[in-house]
Amino acid sequence: MSTAIDRFDDKTRGAFGQIGQTEVYEGELLRHRVYTRFLHWMVALFFFLALFTGFGIYMPWLFRWFTPIFGGGPLSREMHPWFGLGFVIFFGLQALNWIKPMTWTAADTKWMVNLRKIIGGQEKMEPPDTGFFNGGQKMQFWEIASGCIVYLITGMILWFGARVFGRWAVAVSYVLHDISALIMLGGIFIHIYLSTIGQSGTFQAMIRGAVSEAWAWTFHPAWYKQVTGRDPVGACEEARRKASAK
Amino acid sequence: MSDRKTLQIKQISGHSGPAAGFDMQRDYEVCKLIDTTICIGCKACEVACVEWNDMPFTPTTFDNTYQTMPSTSYHFWNLIKFNEHQREDGTVQWLMRKDQCMHCADPGCLRACPADGAIVQYTNGIVDFQQENCIGCEFCVSGCPYDIPKFNPATKKVYKCTLCSDRVGQGLEPACIKACPTGCLKFGSKDDMKFIAEERAKQLRENFGFEKAGVYDPQSIGGTHVVYVLHDAENPERYGGLPKNPVIPWSYTVWKWLFKPVLGTFALFGLLGVLLHYVTVGPRRAQPEPPIKERES
Amino acid sequence: MTNGWIDIKNTDMMLIMGGNPAENHPCGFKWPIEAKLHRNAKTIVVDPRLTRTAATADLFLQIRAGSDIAFLGGLIHYAVENNRIAHEYLVNYTNAALIIKDKFKLPDDGLYSGFDPERKTYDKSTWNYEEGGDLTGKPVEPTPAKQYEQPAPHPAAKRAVPAVPPPPALPPKTAFDLSLQHPRCVFQLLKKQYERYTPEMVERITGIPKDQFLKAADMFTSVRKDGDMKKVATIIYAVGWTQHSFGTQIIRTAAMLQLLLGNVGRAGGGVNALRGHSNIQGATDMAGVFDILPGYLKVPTPADTDFAAYLKRITPNPAKPDPWDSFNYWSNTPKFAVSFLKAMYGPSATKENDWAFNYLPKADRNYSWVNLWNEMYEGKVKGLFAFGMNGVMIGPDSQKNIDALKKADWLVVCEIYPDETSEFWRAPGISADEMKKINTTVYRLPGAGFAEKDGTFVNSARWLQWKNVALPPPGQARLDQEILATIFLNVRELYRKEGGKFPDPILNASFAYTNPYNPSLTEMAKEINGKALADLTDPKTSVTIKAGQQLPGFSWLKDDGTTLSGNWLYCGSWTEAGALTQRRGTEDPSGLGIYPNWAWSWPMNRRVLYNRASCDLNGKPWDPSRRQVWWDEAKQSWVGNDIPDFKADSPPKDHMGPFIMNPEGVGRLFVPLGAMADGPFPEYYEPIESPIANVLHPNQSNNPVVKKYKTDADKYGTVDQGYNVICTTYRLTEHYHYWTKNNPMNVQLVPEPFVEVPAELADRMGIRGGEKVKVTSARSHYIAKAMVTRRIRPMKIDGKETFQIGIPIHWGFRGIAEDEDKTAKTLTNQLTPTVIDPNAYTPEFKGFLVKIEKV
Repeated sequence: MSTAIDRFDDKTRGAFGQIGQTEVYEGELLRHRVYTRFLHWMVALFFFLALFTGFGIYMPWLFRWFTPIFGGGPLSREMHPWFGLGFVIFFGLQALNWIKPMTWTAADTKWMVNLRKIIGGQEKMEPPDTGFFNGGQKMQFWEIASGCIVYLITGMILWFGARVFGRWAVAVSYVLHDISALIMLGGIFIHIYLSTIGQSGTFQAMIRGAVSEAWAWTFHPAWYKQVTGRDPVGACEEARRKASAK
Repeated sequence: MSDRKTLQIKQISGHSGPAAGFDMQRDYEVCKLIDTTICIGCKACEVACVEWNDMPFTPTTFDNTYQTMPSTSYHFWNLIKFNEHQREDGTVQWLMRKDQCMHCADPGCLRACPADGAIVQYTNGIVDFQQENCIGCEFCVSGCPYDIPKFNPATKKVYKCTLCSDRVGQGLEPACIKACPTGCLKFGSKDDMKFIAEERAKQLRENFGFEKAGVYDPQSIGGTHVVYVLHDAENPERYGGLPKNPVIPWSYTVWKWLFKPVLGTFALFGLLGVLLHYVTVGPRRAQPEPPIKERES
Repeated sequence: MTNGWIDIKNTDMMLIMGGNPAENHPCGFKWPIEAKLHRNAKTIVVDPRLTRTAATADLFLQIRAGSDIAFLGGLIHYAVENNRIAHEYLVNYTNAALIIKDKFKLPDDGLYSGFDPERKTYDKSTWNYEEGGDLTGKPVEPTPAKQYEQPAPHPAAKRAVPAVPPPPALPPKTAFDLSLQHPRCVFQLLKKQYERYTPEMVERITGIPKDQFLKAADMFTSVRKDGDMKKVATIIYAVGWTQHSFGTQIIRTAAMLQLLLGNVGRAGGGVNALRGHSNIQGATDMAGVFDILPGYLKVPTPADTDFAAYLKRITPNPAKPDPWDSFNYWSNTPKFAVSFLKAMYGPSATKENDWAFNYLPKADRNYSWVNLWNEMYEGKVKGLFAFGMNGVMIGPDSQKNIDALKKADWLVVCEIYPDETSEFWRAPGISADEMKKINTTVYRLPGAGFAEKDGTFVNSARWLQWKNVALPPPGQARLDQEILATIFLNVRELYRKEGGKFPDPILNASFAYTNPYNPSLTEMAKEINGKALADLTDPKTSVTIKAGQQLPGFSWLKDDGTTLSGNWLYCGSWTEAGALTQRRGTEDPSGLGIYPNWAWSWPMNRRVLYNRASCDLNGKPWDPSRRQVWWDEAKQSWVGNDIPDFKADSPPKDHMGPFIMNPEGVGRLFVPLGAMADGPFPEYYEPIESPIANVLHPNQSNNPVVKKYKTDADKYGTVDQGYNVICTTYRLTEHYHYWTKNNPMNVQLVPEPFVEVPAELADRMGIRGGEKVKVTSARSHYIAKAMVTRRIRPMKIDGKETFQIGIPIHWGFRGIAEDEDKTAKTLTNQLTPTVIDPNAYTPEFKGFLVKIEKV
């Protein structure tokens, strides 16, 4: 099974690599390949389309200004499940793509315990065993993955409605769907923050696909070590020395 | 009591503030009385409804019944449901019940509806859909214990019986009432209709041998503005699935009026949190950072 | 209706049978409902299937279609046995006490006295009263038979109908026994006649279990429990009773039951026919039937060689117990007839020419509906005008009607839709080659719909109600009167130019309308009411009516040519005061629903006929809470909330009978002489196609005077041939005959034809709801989807399990569903047999035999 997924991922990664390209300059590392970046932005696009149309359904009195963008309330409502479906499908592909790096490890548990220090800014560097993704990223990934399952089930019930599934199923799904959306919404604020202004140098990973080596040894030391074979702390100290030498 | 039956709004679906016009004018609750014991299933009410509301004719198919179609539709709001009930002694009772919006005092559709002003309840009890505000989410469909709101795939909005609010607002009776040839449909104040219905049920019990005759005005949803006289009030399900104790899913109430705003606020806390993080702790940077020049303390 | 729609609200008990008012008269059904709501009135519904009427009933009995007389006879038996009868009413207001001739024989073997098996007719001379005086308490002696006054046979009449002797007349002074003990008094004969109709017999014939029958009998007759006269029961029926080969006798049985219970003439009582069209009552009043002229004057026969002979035949003499009085209102027949002829022929009708009596066509044979088609089928009738009816659909045996039209030279159809009659030539099954061989020329005229015409509807309650035009006829459509007048005037022009065998009736017909090519119905209505042709003065009141003025009522009609009236019954509907038919007064001072100022009811705005019978012998209402009319001693006159249907100044002591149209003045439990073709009492006969032989007299199963038709199209099925299911036909509330199938709204409500099949029969045949079934009779077949239902139950007929099915009549081969190929395009009436009731000539549409199979 996993080999089949691997083969599929490898093939598509290869195909996308031929369509697009990723340029890695001196002092940089390849972070996200074209395929990954494509999937990410498709997920993001559908997420926001579903989110904004969803807002129009969730609280029309507050968000009714969104709905004209999509052609009015009923059309927003009509398109919302399709957007949602797009989100789930692209995220599903991303999940296949990322299933290995997102696998939870003991280091992630440790990372989570250490979370307060990272949020508080006391730890400038990530713990040395932080790999390609840290525990927080993985947690969000799995939150979205489980959220997608909830969306899919409750969304289908809401889509086909009380006539097919009965009014109680709809009434319960309605709540679960909304809760799932709210959790994801909360998460997405953090995700955007950390990938843009909250953690400089991150954004380009999903734009150009490459990150600086400094970024890599700071935030994903284990990954740095894995791809470069060098000690991240050592590399950092060396860079500091060079900088102060200037 | 004023004779005017103007449509003063009592409740508005998905509305954030107080309903405009609420409690501005004295009004009384209206009610439709349907006496199933003298309904002859003539379908005059069906035709009157289609004609008054100018709805199109739809092709139907034979379905082993006298019933026009299986259930009400977005352009057929008034349907007599025909049911054959075999009594214990083998005799058959042919039950006919005019099915339409019940105009609940506590309307499940309105509870479920998220759209601002798509469903309004007037102080006279009429629950009316305002299609210009409807977003077609169909939550009302699941909120309704009577399977009344129906989605029109063409307009992508939901429709149902309005109790002819357009007529009632002008002091007229609903079209179905006007068309009923036997008087099994009556229209008036809730108090009057309830009185007539109870009297009739008493008559059925005392003079016609229907010991279980009674009035259907379910208190589980605060009563309805359409009440039935039934031969057997203990088994309303026989009349084409009239629920004995209609309920509105609790999730709508709990979710919509409590957790929805609260949790929505929590989601916003995510935004607030990252903002505070940025201005207090500040962003993380790749190491080594430039040397610190000064630190506020 | 003896009473009226609204009057039903006054009843305490309803027997609804042979009718389905909730479905076919939903608006009128509000009045039975009113009675339920406000009087706790009980309803008994007896029908072959559980209808929407039955759904509201207190007691529903499923009866075998066609066995109604057995049920009603059983009720009579029960009422008599249990003394649930109105004794004083019976003795004084009915012919119960009158004594019948010695030779009269009850039909123990299925035949009354005087049957001629060869001609299948009765010699009815023994069906007559005995002459004599008061025999109360006197010993019984056989009285010698005597022939009473007979009109002298005219030589010409003898030539025309040589074999029929002129009918005997009623004796002027009938013998009677007020103790009702005389063995030949009507009451004893009736008792004997219905002795055989025991609850067990009712169960065997009708399939109604004995206990249910007894429950119904007890319930219905409970209005006369312990001799109480206050309560009233009504009987409501429709074509479920008339459409049998003994239909008239079913209604007679009901009338007898009501007379026994003293329910006729009373508010909330009566025998109430619900008419199947908005204006069928008007059609009958205005001679829509071949053997009557307007106002139920009889159509002349070839034996009526002159006006005097005609009048002698149709004007009855009083025939009653000597001490009693009889109004015998038909003694005024000459006034009605002359006034009618003056309306027909105007100045051409003079005393010298017998008021142009010889202009009237003489009916030499039966020209009833089925006979017309039969004669067309035999090639004798060459053309047909079809206005406001769809002859192919109506049937019976629609295929025979289609084949008959193929043989006609021409057909004129005036309709608002293309219908099956005008398109008979493309009925399913006719190939292109066959179609080419049909030489009938069809003319289709665009008629106007009912809402596009003014004029009156006469409802079942005999109200003439004027209606206004709602909208003009569309396109080229024309009003009926414009089409008919144009045809008439053109035909008259042809007669004027070309002469003809007998042009006078056409040339001299009165047609003096302002616009003869499109006469206004106002002028028509005024002419039908009638006017004075000379100054008239009432000697009693000295009131004078000037020549040319509208007559205020039929009491003003004269037999000297000084009055004109198109229909004496309608005289008083459009007086000098204007059109009373247009009145819309909603006052009802008595609360009895009389509404005297709403429209106008014949005769003379009386709302309940025979209302004298609502009072006891002294002229006091039986029920003081329902006071219709009463005798006012101070005024020496009958007064009341309704117009007294009686001679206003006849005091109760004169003992004038309340049934003023009968020469006896009393209600007829026994019908003397020739008024009924098949017996003075109703006897139960099986329908022509029946699953069993008559249990009462297996050797005389069917109505003996009913004749089967003899063409190759006329086939009659038997159980032995496999036709073992009883079939009945009916209308649905959602459709109106054969034209609402063109209206999308009605089609939406019930889109397709169907056959109602009992669930047990369906199980046995493996038929599921919605599957197509084929119903076959000896004549043809019908294909539609099955409606499998528990509303028709299997029944035991004479111990044998028997099933009934039902088919609505509405679908044909033209209409919305038909044009979209959604139906099998078979016609219900292709199944029905051509056989008719001998009195009213109504076909037996109900209760024939079929077999059913899955398609």
